[in-house]
Amino acid sequence: MDTRKIVRLSMLLSLSIVLSLIEGMIPIFSNVIPGVKLGLANIVIVFVLYLYSFKEAIYVSIARVLLVGLLRTGLFSIVFFFSLSGALLSIIFMYLFKKMNFSIIGVSVIGSICHSIGQVLMAILFLNNINVIYYLPYLLLLSIPTGIIVGISSKEVLKHYNKVKA
Amino acid sequence: MNKKDLLLILVILFVCIIMFLLFSNKSSDYAYVYYENKVIKKIDLNIDNEYTVSGYNGDVVIEVLNNKIRVKEEKSNNNICSNMGFVSSSLEPIICLPNKIVIKIVEDYKIDTVIR
Repeated sequence: MDTRKIVRLSMLLSLSIVLSLIEGMIPIFSNVIPGVKLGLANIVIVFVLYLYSFKEAIYVSIARVLLVGLLRTGLFSIVFFFSLSGALLSIIFMYLFKKMNFSIIGVSVIGSICHSIGQVLMAILFLNNINVIYYLPYLLLLSIPTGIIVGISSKEVLKHYNKVKA
Repeated sequence: MNKKDLLLILVILFVCIIMFLLFSNKSSDYAYVYYENKVIKKIDLNIDNEYTVSGYNGDVVIEVLNNKIRVKEEKSNNNICSNMGFVSSSLEPIICLPNKIVIKIVEDYKIDTVIR
C-alpha cells in the first residue's frame, strides 16, 4: 500500500465518520420508526468499493464502525454489534452484486438492505427474541429509497472524481 | 440503473409485501391466566366468550371479544386492570395485583425454526 493510497483512504474514512455523525443529528424517520437512517456513510463505502477494491472497502467499513462506535454509542455496546454485523453483511453483498454486473444503484440498494437484515439478525441473537423480525419489513421498505439516494449520490461523486483526476 | 436493478428492487418490494401479509394475520393466539404465578386457565382468543376465575379478592370476570381480551369485572380499590380495556398484544400483559392475577397473550409462531 503506497502512501498516496493510505492518505486517500484515511481521508475517505474521516469523511464517512463525519457523515455518520451528521446523519445522527437528522431525525428523518427515527421518530416514526427508530433505527432508520439515511446511510450517508455508505456513499463513501460504495465509492471506495468502486475506486479501489473489496479489501480496501472492508478496511474502511470496519474502521468506520469502530470509530463511530467509539464516538457515539460506546465501543462493544449492543448497538455497536448491530452496526458491525450490518456493515459486514452489506459490504460482502455489495461486492457480490458488483461482480454480478449490477449498476451502482443496485449495489447500494443491496448494501442498505443488508444493513437492515444484519442488524435485525444481530438483534434477534442478542435479545433472544424472535419478535424483532416484525420490524424487518418496515426497515426493508425504507431501505429501498435510501439505497437509491445513496446510489445516485455515489454515482455523481464518482463522475466528478474522474473528471477532477483527468 | 439497468433492468437488473429494477428487477432487484421489485423482488425486494415483493418480499416486503409477503412479509407484511405473513406477519399481519397471526392466528391461534392464546391467553394464559396466572394466579400466584401458576397457570390456571388457557383462553382461546378466537372464541368470543366470558370466563370467570377466582382471584384473591373474589371472582374475576374475563371477556374475549374480536381476538381481544379484557377484565370485565373484578374487586379492587383502583380497578386498574379493568380500566385498561381490551388488549391484543403479547407485549402488554394485564396485571391485577390485588387479585394476584396476570393475563398474558402468547403468540404461536410458525416461522420460529427458519431463523434458528
